[in-house]
Amino acid sequence: MNQFIMSMDAGGTMTDTFFVDDTGRFVVGKAQTTPADESIGFGRSVEDALAQWGQAPEAVFPKVATGIYSGTSMLNRLLERKGRRLGVIVTAGMEDYFQLERGIQTYLGYSYQDRLKVSTHRHNQPLVPRERMKGVRGRIDLFGTEAIPLYEHEAEAAVAELLDMDVEGIVVNLLFSYVNGAHENAVKEAALKVMERKGKSVPIYLSSELYPVMQDFARLNTVTIEAYAAEPSRGQFQKIADRARNFGGQFELRVMASHGGTISTEARELARTLISGPIGGMVGARYLGAELGIGNIVCSDIGGTSFDLGLITGGEFTTKTQPDMARFVLKLPLVDIDSVGAGTGSYVRLDPISKRIEFGPDSAGSRIGMCFEQGGVDTPTLSDCNIILGNLNPNNFLGGEVILNRERSYQAIKERIADPLGLDPYDAAEGVLQLFENHLRNEVYARVFGKGYSPEDYTLFSYGGGGPMHVAGYTKGLNFADVLVPAWAAGFSAFGCACADFEYRLDRTVNVATASPDLAPAAFEQGFDLLSGAVNAGWEGLRAKVKEEFAKSGVDAGQIEYRHCLRLQYVGQLNDVEIELPFQAVRRADDIREIIERFEVAYSKEFSRSAKSPELGYLVTNVLVRGVVKVMKPALPNFPLHGPEPLRDALKEIRPIYRNGKWHDARIFHMDDLLPGNVITGPAVIEAASTTFMVPPGAEARLDQHLIFHLRHLED
Amino acid sequence: MSVSHDINTLRELKDGKLSFEKLHGLISGFKDADRFDKMVQIWQESVEWDDPILLPLAEHLFVVRKPDGRRVVKSTWGYEYCEAQENWKLHAKVFVRDTEELINEIYPDKLGCDPEWMQLREYYDPLSGTLLEVEVVPPGYPIVHDFKPDIDTFYRDWLGRPVP
Repeated sequence: MNQFIMSMDAGGTMTDTFFVDDTGRFVVGKAQTTPADESIGFGRSVEDALAQWGQAPEAVFPKVATGIYSGTSMLNRLLERKGRRLGVIVTAGMEDYFQLERGIQTYLGYSYQDRLKVSTHRHNQPLVPRERMKGVRGRIDLFGTEAIPLYEHEAEAAVAELLDMDVEGIVVNLLFSYVNGAHENAVKEAALKVMERKGKSVPIYLSSELYPVMQDFARLNTVTIEAYAAEPSRGQFQKIADRARNFGGQFELRVMASHGGTISTEARELARTLISGPIGGMVGARYLGAELGIGNIVCSDIGGTSFDLGLITGGEFTTKTQPDMARFVLKLPLVDIDSVGAGTGSYVRLDPISKRIEFGPDSAGSRIGMCFEQGGVDTPTLSDCNIILGNLNPNNFLGGEVILNRERSYQAIKERIADPLGLDPYDAAEGVLQLFENHLRNEVYARVFGKGYSPEDYTLFSYGGGGPMHVAGYTKGLNFADVLVPAWAAGFSAFGCACADFEYRLDRTVNVATASPDLAPAAFEQGFDLLSGAVNAGWEGLRAKVKEEFAKSGVDAGQIEYRHCLRLQYVGQLNDVEIELPFQAVRRADDIREIIERFEVAYSKEFSRSAKSPELGYLVTNVLVRGVVKVMKPALPNFPLHGPEPLRDALKEIRPIYRNGKWHDARIFHMDDLLPGNVITGPAVIEAASTTFMVPPGAEARLDQHLIFHLRHLED
Repeated sequence: MSVSHDINTLRELKDGKLSFEKLHGLISGFKDADRFDKMVQIWQESVEWDDPILLPLAEHLFVVRKPDGRRVVKSTWGYEYCEAQENWKLHAKVFVRDTEELINEIYPDKLGCDPEWMQLREYYDPLSGTLLEVEVVPPGYPIVHDFKPDIDTFYRDWLGRPVP
């Protein structure tokens, strides 16, 4: 029977839906996002997608096995400060958290130049105003012992005042609550008492329950965002789930989360779905790599505004535990991915003093460039350069939906870039693109080489609407084992979301140290009980929580595959490293030796062998449990191979493109008309509705049976 | 190619009405070559007298050209202090805080300076009574001459034209 996977991405302007069946056949639908009720845009996008198969939603939805949501509504709610009205209770003396912030939050996301210019730094508008921040005396110390008892009457008074201010939720974040949550629980008790007395009830968010991790400020940010922006999303999810049910869908809608798995819309920790956009591609690349037997992958994604890079090594990506997002430092697991440069819509400018060409940091985004007259853009972009050189077909943007004006691009490049430099406009545009591609190439090289790896051991994946246009430029000379461009590059993020497992990943700070068994055997023996006790209790507690979360989706405990991880560092150092263990409890001294050995292997890979410092001892900072439930994944398309020569009809036209200072006659193909096995030798341009793949002179692209192009530089 | 900002944007900049995003763009972007002339134009519009502004000198103070060619320091409210090369402070109203009592009017007890060591000199515009400048110096210290602009060189070498 035909089964389908659906994934959707409700972006700032467009809602994409992606359907794939079990033979790997897929469609992508688009519709305008409807922020007030996202289910409307979702419905339209679904209709747009399925119309391409000539199907009605009602015919397909009953056969949808998995439905994944990702979107930016939560992020927008945060950026626009349109979340819920909250009150916050903190340890007395700490009420100014949001006014003081951490200094870094006043310049997060800035360019290096701006970071140096103090006049650009700016405090954020607090999520909760000062008058709704209440302090309560009492103190738990860093070991978890009560140093000062909680002043319960102050807690009651604080809750009463907040309720009188009509708050819709109360966040509680006390110092060291991750070691001992007793005081937070006492605040909750007091709050429940007051609520009963007042006949009012609002939800209470305890940091020790939701995010029991070190660093009180980042923890407060995370819990507050959970209550402020994430909680209201549940209503949106419900509406989308209802719409899917009306179409006949039987599946449970899940949400893409920052750790690279999907979680239920009922999950307690929903804030981690705040960041999901760029992760989809990484998840998709990992899945594709596993299917094709490729363990080491460089993921590169060029969109309209940014160039995102991530590494998959040995089939796994690494995870950051303190990401920042929307100018907040957070304590959430986030797939390690870096936004390192400009995108195809980035503005190109000439520094009036030095006459140096600069990209971005701002971009025209969906308004493309000067070539799109209705966009109202008045600065040329990289797309304008691509247009005048013949790389982009002005009549094929978004499959011809938008007609671009080449003459406007030419004039803009000539006046703003070429004339001031005394260059020919075509040379200037080519120079700009070369500079851009060199910049990307340096970044790619630095990411791989900087981690101690070498490009020869990696396969590069290029996707995103702009990836295939520039991939030849930014991989040339780097000698990657292979360079892959999936034919569905533009919809790769949505595809990736559909590849994600159902996975909860929970963590807890423990901070217990152990000595080296070789250098200090006595201390090692002595510390065994403390360490094993903390790790085992931590893992057990997290497993129970994971089970609870899965139970909300009706998943049977037997289906859950647990993976047990720790984060360790050398005592006194600052960066911890994550390792996975083959056991679920520490029982013998050998288990700790195993932990240490795995840590040192991981540490030497990330830093260097000579930096190992066993004499310092080892600190287990966090315990983690990942609970994974395998779900149906999109099948890879698999077609019979044809000969290298494309069909005569696939060739659309011959078009001049400007490259290396002269015009070449490039063969223009339509991607949909190419057959697996075809080999396209450059200069050629392969056009699809939502992306353009450039095969420059001296390169060739072979389409394999899975509809993935392999790009090869013949001259390397 | 040179950057140039819309005069209304600069007007908002002067009045502190720019959104932070726009202000950030202005701070981080390339310097606009015609900023000086546009700002002078904006300042000229904002005062009620007609003497042409040669140079904004400090907050509320300008060097202007009188009909007889003299260059004079003049305030927003039209008070003429002195020749451009002189120290305008010598012609302003002065209030010196040199006792504990006077200092405590501004700073809470113990947070102000010791008047034996340090005093506050406040300079006011005689026409509007607006506080223009505060000097914090040891008693007996000469009056500070903040800024002695070389207007001729500025016009000739930086703007590339003679002083109007």
